[in-house]
Amino acid sequence: MVEKDTSMVKYYLFKIIIAGLVIIAVLWVITPFIISILYAFSDPTDYYSKEIIIPLHYTYEHVRKLVALGAGTAIINSVIVALMTIALSFALGLPAGYAFARFVFPGKDSLKLFIIGLRMFPIIVIAVPLVSLYIRLGLSDSLLGVALAHTAMALPFVIIITSSIFAGIPKELEEAGLIFGLDRTGAFLRITMPLALPGLAAAAIFTFIMSWNEVFIAAVLTLTNRTLPAFILTSAMAATDFIKFAASFIMILPAMIFVFIARRYLIAMWGITLR
Amino acid sequence: MSYYSALTKTAAIIIALIVIIAAAGIGYYIITQQAQPTKIIWVSTQLVPPEEQAFVKDQLLAEFTKETGIQVEFVGSSYEDLATRLESEEGAGKVTISLIGELHGGLDYFASKGWLEDLGKFGALSGRTFPKVLEDYSKLHGIKAYIPWMTATYVMVINKKAFNYLPDDLTQDDIMQGTSKWTYDAFLAWAKRLYEETGGPKVGFPAGPKGLFVRFLHGYLYPAFTGAQVKNFDSQDAVTMWEWLKELWQYVHPSSTTWDAMADPLLKEEVWIAWDHTARIKDAIATKPDDFIVVPVPAGPKGRGFILVIAGLAVPKGAPNEDAAWKLIEYLTRPGTQVKVLQNVGFFPSVNEATGAVPEGPLKILASGVNKQLGTTDALVALIPSLGAKGGDFKNVYITAFQRIVQNGEDIQAVISELKPQLMGLFEETGAPLPPPDV
Amino acid sequence: MCKLFSKYILIRGVFIAMPSHPSFVEKYLPYILIAPALGYMLFFIGYPLIQAIYLAFTKNGALSLENLDYLLHSPFSKFYEALTNTFLLVIVIIPIQVAIALGLAMLFNIKFKGRNVALYSIILPLTISDVAAGLIWYTMLSTNGFFNKLFINLGITSEPIYFFGYQFRQMEFLAIVITEIWRATAIVFVIVFAGLQMISQEHIEAAEVFGANVWQRLRYIVFPMLLPSLQAALIIRTLFAFQIFGVVWTLAGRDIPILAGEAYYEQVELKHQGVAAIYALVIAGISVAIGYLYIKLFKAKYLEAGT
Repeated sequence: MVEKDTSMVKYYLFKIIIAGLVIIAVLWVITPFIISILYAFSDPTDYYSKEIIIPLHYTYEHVRKLVALGAGTAIINSVIVALMTIALSFALGLPAGYAFARFVFPGKDSLKLFIIGLRMFPIIVIAVPLVSLYIRLGLSDSLLGVALAHTAMALPFVIIITSSIFAGIPKELEEAGLIFGLDRTGAFLRITMPLALPGLAAAAIFTFIMSWNEVFIAAVLTLTNRTLPAFILTSAMAATDFIKFAASFIMILPAMIFVFIARRYLIAMWGITLR
Repeated sequence: MSYYSALTKTAAIIIALIVIIAAAGIGYYIITQQAQPTKIIWVSTQLVPPEEQAFVKDQLLAEFTKETGIQVEFVGSSYEDLATRLESEEGAGKVTISLIGELHGGLDYFASKGWLEDLGKFGALSGRTFPKVLEDYSKLHGIKAYIPWMTATYVMVINKKAFNYLPDDLTQDDIMQGTSKWTYDAFLAWAKRLYEETGGPKVGFPAGPKGLFVRFLHGYLYPAFTGAQVKNFDSQDAVTMWEWLKELWQYVHPSSTTWDAMADPLLKEEVWIAWDHTARIKDAIATKPDDFIVVPVPAGPKGRGFILVIAGLAVPKGAPNEDAAWKLIEYLTRPGTQVKVLQNVGFFPSVNEATGAVPEGPLKILASGVNKQLGTTDALVALIPSLGAKGGDFKNVYITAFQRIVQNGEDIQAVISELKPQLMGLFEETGAPLPPPDV
Repeated sequence: MCKLFSKYILIRGVFIAMPSHPSFVEKYLPYILIAPALGYMLFFIGYPLIQAIYLAFTKNGALSLENLDYLLHSPFSKFYEALTNTFLLVIVIIPIQVAIALGLAMLFNIKFKGRNVALYSIILPLTISDVAAGLIWYTMLSTNGFFNKLFINLGITSEPIYFFGYQFRQMEFLAIVITEIWRATAIVFVIVFAGLQMISQEHIEAAEVFGANVWQRLRYIVFPMLLPSLQAALIIRTLFAFQIFGVVWTLAGRDIPILAGEAYYEQVELKHQGVAAIYALVIAGISVAIGYLYIKLFKAKYLEAGT
């Protein structure tokens, strides 16, 4: 962003301000992460000392203890549930989001509101009837069951986000495609979809995170096949601080990796859009 | 064209992903369907922290499996999850849990709902005797609802530094032995002196949303000041008690209202004196055994009130493999097993034969404190009342009184007079007897 | 702008003429596209929802207002406090979050060295659950936590700063606001930033050629085109904010009662399922009202011209 008429001084001043703002923002966000990761591996004596701010002695003991108790299986369970949730909620939500963005039809606003409204009921109260329903359906204590519930939770947001993404892509492009001989499906797949991909990737991350961090449903619906948050809630929250930090660390790590991978994907897709 | 190729790539990835997920899902489903018949599920709200679970799985249950060939899946759970789970399973008539380990109060609620099997049909367990109070309490709603498994209590933990600030006419020995000089008034004087001479509050309570401070109110202060947990709720003695608490609260660490367990505040030296459940301060003593000492609670005008907590083992109605579950109960209540539990996780035995053995090491500090509390001459044992689903309302009465009197400074007599009918209503509604020491 | 659109209207004329004899599928296409999602939601949420309404307004099978009476008049109910606190939190937190997210999105729209790394750092809080975030900040702000240790050892303060406890409810409130801003601004940022990235650079450049200054470009091009993303971000954040629970529960317990927290307390601790259900319905009602307001307020004008 080079201003056309600026002197060198103004240009560098601008650069310094930008750098300063970015550094403040980044520090603000990552300091708690760094602290909690350090504490997750901290020796208890250092952690509880009044004088030692940054621990000097480290141990793998807390994390090892958690993994030995089944955190590993729980991570795999959580990933499976999150991926199933993404697949299901996109299969159902994408068409609906497209319909809300591209068509004018009677009852559109009410329908949209109705779908959002359905989700607004707090999970805590929904969980109990859901458990009995699941037992009747033979879905209790299964990962698919959790994924189905998470899909219900994520679906309204997938619909809203996708409809906003599609609405942000000029309809005229698609119409131009129609004129040049594509049918509606073709126009959607070859024009709208590629343009929407970065946004959709963001929506997928959002869905993943929502499923990954959801505790209440997972804790109530599973008993032996715990997802990670449910496992941590029931086995680590009763423990001392450093075990909690170790638990937070195990929880954050895979999600961080996922976001990291998705971020590369996002940047690449932004490249296509901005070309 | 590049759109097209990018699109085919993306589509291929998405399809592949869905296929993998579906396959994984189906495969997973098939695997879970082939459950082994000799495996039973034991859901427990006790022994849930990681170290305790490791002990249960690697030692207790490993040995049981070696002896009987029965596989046990130990599932640590919160009370809420267990209650939700059990309600649904019993409602749907498809029970998967074979054994429940829960506190007296929760089991009382399950029994009131008719979700528990009458254990009387299995007959008596040989080679062990249960204290009478435990025997009596495990019979609920007309059935033998559970077998007493472990006991615990709430004690005071003192950081040894606090002894440097003792008030006049109170010695360290008075406190450690629980003599008649170790009273709530002496405690108040101590808290005040600590506050003034160390420059900040040094006393803490677990008064957070999941903390057990409410037990201190109804099971410690009320019996000590009024001689009863419930029936003297709005008496003149109760007014004295609330006035005492209001005064003490000035010297209590303000973060108390967010603390659920006192181990961390003790270890961080945010406080030097704390009251909590034995299990919730155990970590502090285990981490720094030289810093802390466990002592009996102070006495009030009517005696030294304290609560005894009972954990029990119960079998849900319609549970699979109930004979295997009974074998596990038999194993868990053997004196030898109980000593192991005491040594490893600090829960106290429920059978008379096991009480003799006291573990060496940091836990000895805890055990001796508990023993001294139990052995004080003015002991006034309180049990948590069996109100079933109304147990939460019961606690809420005391919490509300505390919030309004101590935190909001409302008139004491007015608040307790307003809340008394609500409290008594709970006992009338449920038909539950008033808990000891009221009767 | 007008010239730009006239071209498209012409094209649209052709498009509209095409389905003059719409087939069955073409006519009902939007409904067909929505039906699976709607059916799914009705089944998985509608059913428990009806059960909850039933719980709220019946007792032993008969219609009863006992739960409502408890909610509004019982000395044990903290309904009004919870309602006030929840609104207060939303009103304080949301504008700050949106402002920060917008600012960050603008900032990151500028190309600079290390942008990708910075970007990744900024969206990190997306990975963390509310309970975990509350826990981290609780330990960092506690009397002997990271910040107090740091400040005391650096000599900035001599006494620990108390953040928690009933006496310090203002500080608890502040701690909640800090944690929520730290935790949930990332979601708003990602959505707004994705929207910003999609605005075609040509539009902005065209405006630049016609001599629009930075503010005008923002006001007349970027902002209107950003509205749909902003709407989505706002709806999501606001609705989640009304369900705020984990952070408050870990930081302040019931010192600061909030709607979802009271619902949880009534359900889990007191076993008042009916009362919990009413709390849930109140949250749902507020959410629907807010969602409706947003949809009405944020109708993206330029999109309507195109439909």
